[in-house]
Amino acid sequence: MSKASGIPVKRALPSKESTLFKELLQLYETRNLKKGLKTADQILKKFPEHGETMCMKGLVLTHLGKREEGIEFVKKGIRFDLTSHICWHVFGLIQKGEKNYEEALKSYTQALKFDKDNLNILRDAAQLQTQLRLYDALVETRNNLLKLRPNVRQNWVALAVAHHLNGNRKEARKILEHYERTLKNVPDYDIEHSETLLYHVQLLEELEEYTEALRILDVSAKERAIVDRTAIMEYRARLLTKLRSDEAEHAWRALVEHNSDSYDYYRGYLSNQGLSLDQPSPEALTILKEFSSQLPKAAAPKRLALTISTGDEFKELAKPYLMAGLIKGIPSLFADVKALYQDKLKEQAVEDIVTSARDEFAKASSDPSSSTAAGEPTSYLWTLYFLAQHHSYLGRPKEALAILDEALTHTPTLPELHTCKARVLKRAGDYLGGARCLNDARLLDGQDRFLNTKCGKYLLRAGMIDEANGIFGLFTKKDAVSPAVDLEDMQSLLFLVEEANAQRQNGKLNLALKTYMSISKVFDEIQDDQYDFHGYNLRKFTINIYLKLLTWEDSLRSHPAYITAAVEASKIWVAIHDDPSIVTAITSSNGLTDAEKKAKKKAKKAAQKQEETKKTSTTSTNEDKGLESTPQKDEDPEGLKLFTATDPLERADKLLLPLTSLAPNNVAVWIAIYDVAIRRKKLLLAVRALNKARALAPEHPEVHLCIIHLKQTASALPQTPPAPIGDVFSDSLLKILPSEVSLETFNSQYLQRHSMSASAIIAAAQGAHKLSAPRQEVENIVFTALNDGVDLKVPTALATIAFLISIKSPRVDEFRSACDAKFELSTVFKSSEELTSLRQRVLAGESEATTATEVIP
Amino acid sequence: MSTVTPKSPRVSFASLTPNNLGTVRKLNSVLFPIKYSEKFYHDILQPEVEDFCKLIYYNDVPVGTICCRLENKGDQTKLYLMTMGVLAPYRSRRLGSKSLELIMEAAASHAAPKIDKIYLHVQVSNLSAKKFYERHGFKEMEVHKDYYKKIIPHDAWVLERDFS
Repeated sequence: MSKASGIPVKRALPSKESTLFKELLQLYETRNLKKGLKTADQILKKFPEHGETMCMKGLVLTHLGKREEGIEFVKKGIRFDLTSHICWHVFGLIQKGEKNYEEALKSYTQALKFDKDNLNILRDAAQLQTQLRLYDALVETRNNLLKLRPNVRQNWVALAVAHHLNGNRKEARKILEHYERTLKNVPDYDIEHSETLLYHVQLLEELEEYTEALRILDVSAKERAIVDRTAIMEYRARLLTKLRSDEAEHAWRALVEHNSDSYDYYRGYLSNQGLSLDQPSPEALTILKEFSSQLPKAAAPKRLALTISTGDEFKELAKPYLMAGLIKGIPSLFADVKALYQDKLKEQAVEDIVTSARDEFAKASSDPSSSTAAGEPTSYLWTLYFLAQHHSYLGRPKEALAILDEALTHTPTLPELHTCKARVLKRAGDYLGGARCLNDARLLDGQDRFLNTKCGKYLLRAGMIDEANGIFGLFTKKDAVSPAVDLEDMQSLLFLVEEANAQRQNGKLNLALKTYMSISKVFDEIQDDQYDFHGYNLRKFTINIYLKLLTWEDSLRSHPAYITAAVEASKIWVAIHDDPSIVTAITSSNGLTDAEKKAKKKAKKAAQKQEETKKTSTTSTNEDKGLESTPQKDEDPEGLKLFTATDPLERADKLLLPLTSLAPNNVAVWIAIYDVAIRRKKLLLAVRALNKARALAPEHPEVHLCIIHLKQTASALPQTPPAPIGDVFSDSLLKILPSEVSLETFNSQYLQRHSMSASAIIAAAQGAHKLSAPRQEVENIVFTALNDGVDLKVPTALATIAFLISIKSPRVDEFRSACDAKFELSTVFKSSEELTSLRQRVLAGESEATTATEVIP
Repeated sequence: MSTVTPKSPRVSFASLTPNNLGTVRKLNSVLFPIKYSEKFYHDILQPEVEDFCKLIYYNDVPVGTICCRLENKGDQTKLYLMTMGVLAPYRSRRLGSKSLELIMEAAASHAAPKIDKIYLHVQVSNLSAKKFYERHGFKEMEVHKDYYKKIIPHDAWVLERDFS
């Protein structure tokens, strides 16, 4: 057995086993797993320490579903043969399957050390590098691949893309030009070539080489090399505009006629003329009116004209638009038009038009023999619906409810009326009433999933979490563990955010934390999901959309759901850090009664038995389960593991980190970052966060409280931090709060400046409490929020009650009843007995609504 | 400018399903001073009467119902009209006529079993209803005394129409 230098003794196999090994590799490629396992065992019988075979065996086992065993074998195999590219490749595959991309890339890099021209390894490495955004390395890898296989088209385009991602568009262009010169025998109407050309054009546009871009576009379009006609039109129009060509107007007009409902095309047309949709301008209006008359079926020019026009012109255009919508019965008419309300004059004009429409329709429809559209009872109905939404939007719940009551007497079978009433009640603080109305809507149409979801959401807002899950369960997968689990699988952010908020409101902080973290997990999954596209998009040559995908993924966590989850989860963790008794309160109250414990044990045993029978049945199959790990069973149903984590602040910091760049204009984010940083003793980071918040909203109540907190923390420091931190810190502190101003003065000055703002009043009260003012003084400040003229809203009132409870004030019920009287339509301030009876009515439905006396069996 | 060219209103009918039963309940509760039992709501969902129990839509809004049941009296099969009603703002627009004609056509062409007659009760205080059915070929057969237990007057006309 001769050995080449460098190959360890244990790797080279005699001819029989070496054939077997090659067979093993083949069997794995064809996913012939049972045979592969047997072959591997054959080799291992004779050579139990052959690393490569062990790794292959581990890989096969993983494919068969025996993950832990498989991974053990792979690890053993590597230990026996640290310089085998096969071993490292296998290890990398396993790690990739676990979505552990950083480690996988390390393994692949090792593998490449021992076999630097292995195409498989290079390709996988390139995808990993893209996923991890390591573009320098990506360029190198793509270069290698191209050198090894210069006749594979994909490798050229992939290299160009790599340069582009690395910020080197010029190089990308060079590669593409070289590539196109070498192309031969391109079949007609080849989509891949078409997409590559469009990428080339896009690249030139980004390099501002408009003439060259247009040339390539026109030549290719003529040759029919580019098959995407809409793209051709769009690129032409844009490039001609940038070149300030006379043909541009024609190009945009062609686009508008091609799709007369695309706002982008109108925007493009107008910007070509030097006009914009954002400012009122008579020329733009004339153009839109022209389009309107040329394209009578198009909705876009009519609606855009409303945005641009003002005054009497607006009224002239708005009236036919609104009347047509009301008579046609467009349910979304209000949602369409409400954006105009930023202009108060337009808001009033709309109200006048619709109110007079209401009067006209009321008269006309009272005569059944009239055959005009105005005389249809449905015209009147939809007008009432519009007006109700209008008044609700403008904060006039009483008017809205009066109109809705009339509408409901008119046509009680229209679900939209019930949902509108629910919304009005919800906004007025009657969450139970809102849920009840939405349930009434839901009962009208059992197959409408929108009504079902909205009903569930309103139940969650009312804190009725179990009932909500029951309602959702009517549409979720029947074989899922629970509706909540199914919706989490489906990544329903709407559900997760509402459920987490409801759990937090109900005081179940452990469950709320768990749900907020599952929202974060959804975003992790979305980020991981892009992995397959690194290969797919290059295979299909759809580069433009691929680059857009990568850009989108980079700003993924700017999504409002992630921001909410990160900020709220951080708040919970900060609360745990400040007061560990929260944790013990929940963990101890989670003690179950004996009967419940027994039931739990029984359920656990039954579940285990199911697992075992499942396991025994699957070992006999030859199924390829792939390399991805199957989703774990929920091992922490109460979220206690998370809740009792020993590093809450670090976890919060990790959650908030992406938001420093993705949500820089969000005050709540910077406040959350401040709270975490200051408690981690990262003084300068805390001050930076606070300054960002101050820059965005200097008089914000939360900012005010943070300033007090900062000063108190600074004063409580045992010694000034060492230079240079200490000096910078003290300087910054002085800039925020001059040293001669005492905190008490600072607080009372703030209160004086904002005596009519409820949230500021509460902040001042909380500040006074922090400064150890006597409780009565704090309460007195709080109660000024009830004065006339103060803008107290329901959410602030609820937060105030929570604050009074936290300072053990005896005046909680007094405040609560005052709020109940002040917010006449609300129910959220009622006593718990009243709430219980209201809660029972929510899902009762029709049974109590009838006033009938006669019963027919 | 409120006179848009009048398009004729869309009238359509839908069969009853467990999903739209809530709408039927809502309509019944508003239209009739009578509380119908759970058996009523169970029976109107049965496939045998699918052609005779409908929701009436006006411009895609549900505004009325019509519900019948099949009755076997010896060798005769009769269709009994249990409820028919339209929300007030939508009355006098021929919805009642259209739905009655729909049912009667289904009854006339119904083969298994062959339907011989259709009949219903009308409270004796409701003269306009009686005239409506008479316009559609119904004739008064008798007065059923004390048909209604709780509402006044208690008597009801029995109106009937043959399918020959």
